[in-house]
Amino acid sequence: MNPSFIALVVALPLLAAFLLPLVPKVLRRLVGPLVLLVVAALGMALWQASLSEPLVLAVGGFRPPLGIVFYVDSVAALFVLAVALVTLLLWPWGGDASENLDRKQSLTLVLAAACAGLTVSGDLFNVYVFYELAAVTSYGLAAGSRTAAAQVATFRYVILGSLGSLLALIGITLIYFRSGTLNLAHLADLAPQTLHDPLGLAAFFLILLGLGVKAELFLVNTWAPEVYATAEARVSALLAGLVSKLALLVVARLLVLVFPLPEAREALLVLGMLGMISGEFAAYRARDIKRMLAWSSIGQLGAAFIAFAIPGPAGVAAGLAIALHHLVVKPALFLLAERWGGSLARLAGAARRSPLGAALFALFALSLIGVPPLPGFWAKYLLLSGLAAQPDNLYLLAGLVVLVTTVVEAVYLFRVVGVMYGREAKGEDAGLTNTGSANTQPASALAGSGVFAALLLAAALAAPLLAAPLGRMATQMSDGAAYVARVLPSTATLSGAAQ
Amino acid sequence: MSEFALLTLLIGALSLIAIGIGGLVLSRNLFRIVLALSLAEAGANLLLVLVGFRRDAIAPIIEQGHALTATMVDPIPQAMVLTAIVIGVGVQALALSLAIRAYVAYGTLDMNVMRSRMETDISDAAGAQPATSQHAPAGGRPLPPISAPRLAHNKGAQG
Repeated sequence: MNPSFIALVVALPLLAAFLLPLVPKVLRRLVGPLVLLVVAALGMALWQASLSEPLVLAVGGFRPPLGIVFYVDSVAALFVLAVALVTLLLWPWGGDASENLDRKQSLTLVLAAACAGLTVSGDLFNVYVFYELAAVTSYGLAAGSRTAAAQVATFRYVILGSLGSLLALIGITLIYFRSGTLNLAHLADLAPQTLHDPLGLAAFFLILLGLGVKAELFLVNTWAPEVYATAEARVSALLAGLVSKLALLVVARLLVLVFPLPEAREALLVLGMLGMISGEFAAYRARDIKRMLAWSSIGQLGAAFIAFAIPGPAGVAAGLAIALHHLVVKPALFLLAERWGGSLARLAGAARRSPLGAALFALFALSLIGVPPLPGFWAKYLLLSGLAAQPDNLYLLAGLVVLVTTVVEAVYLFRVVGVMYGREAKGEDAGLTNTGSANTQPASALAGSGVFAALLLAAALAAPLLAAPLGRMATQMSDGAAYVARVLPSTATLSGAAQ
Repeated sequence: MSEFALLTLLIGALSLIAIGIGGLVLSRNLFRIVLALSLAEAGANLLLVLVGFRRDAIAPIIEQGHALTATMVDPIPQAMVLTAIVIGVGVQALALSLAIRAYVAYGTLDMNVMRSRMETDISDAAGAQPATSQHAPAGGRPLPPISAPRLAHNKGAQG
């Protein structure tokens, strides 16, 4: 496959986003979904092509390390596919004034482009720019529900997000100061001499904290419950499901390529553990379903950070499994919670009013906890077996944390399922339960989460078949030397596409 | 530029960042928070320019007829600073417009007041009792009700 196609996965949604208002009204609603379908098809093709060998595109024909480089290995291609599919499932189809809908569709397309850009970028500054692009579009989408609470939540999100970007920029400055390059492959090459010292580690921590804002890392995740409780369910699903995973992916790439140091891994491990403990216990205390899901997603991302802290392909495989599982489950849960979106007490008897919705919720909850035939079990199994194989005590402690928080997770999720299938409140408390149309989900939300459920069940059935590609992807991603060799071949070719 | 001037600039950049981050953490007024953010960003941009500085170097512009013998300052950080400034301006404008909308809705610029009113709004919209209140500073019951009788009992206990 010609590597030039890589540029299209970023360029197409970006172009479509800005040209959308110029398209005739009749066709306007078709543009976004069509573009996303094309990107999904490209992602699929890239994935098949990159499983054997990663693809590299030197943008504009300037060779790396001076030129900008797009790098697609099988993991990046899979995330491109995921970006397109998840954005399509969470697409704003309607239910809004025409002008507003245009804006939302444009913003969603820019977000898709930024996410695709984050996965394929091969240099730090492009990562920074795409990260900012994703950040600004998510601010716009979060403020889109127009309630007063949403404005305050988004303001706080903007401030924390800008602080994160600032820290990341300072980190990138430090890296450039020490090494004089921003290309990831070149950095990987130079890191042992220039960056494996306290200053380099400080740069890594700054970038980790900066990108951690989007990845809901412990310390910088306070925005998540507020924004997810006030934004539309679709937007919460996009932020929790998609954007957080891409920030995580960038951190994982940096860890593999530039900072494969025990100190960096320990930092990830400790922050992941703290995130898991704080997230799951806060979810246990939460009284309304949206904030419960928000805290639970912080806990799950903590688990993903723990997984990526395990050295070698085992850690990458576990991290990918957890991230992909969460990518499918959490958006679906947010979609289901859209109309239930209330206190847990309001859910009483929800199963009778919306049997399919409640059944899907129970299915996702079971997978999130990790009940055996479902994919969540395999993700946690990979994580725990990876942790157990490490000699260091810190990893064993992380394993313990994962097990204990799983129990907490089970308690609060089963509690919700129990309330849904329980009796409806009677008498004076009937005012709390909101009977009537408000408790039934719109068909689109149900259909969306139905597709996610189908994906989940397909993954459960095909689990033995998925092990081999997952292993190959993890090996490919954790091989830093191969990345360097692919982007910076020793033979000096002057052709455009570094072949 | 002398060693002293360079050091002054470096210290200036770092203190701008420190003042900005301190202001972000300590301020309660929404506009001061945005101002602190822009101070910190200015510091980071200055740091970035300093990284590209070379002693006795000229601006990185190639002119016709000039030999390329002179040292040039590193153009890459300057390009990055331009990008960062543009992004920063956009984000600050967005933050200010959100602050105005929040002010219109809540009639205050105090972050603490605004935050507690937002929490109340979220809880109200969800139909959940707030996690903490004046009557129960440490929070109410740890578990939401499973069945109706227990809910009634707990409500009675709290009231």
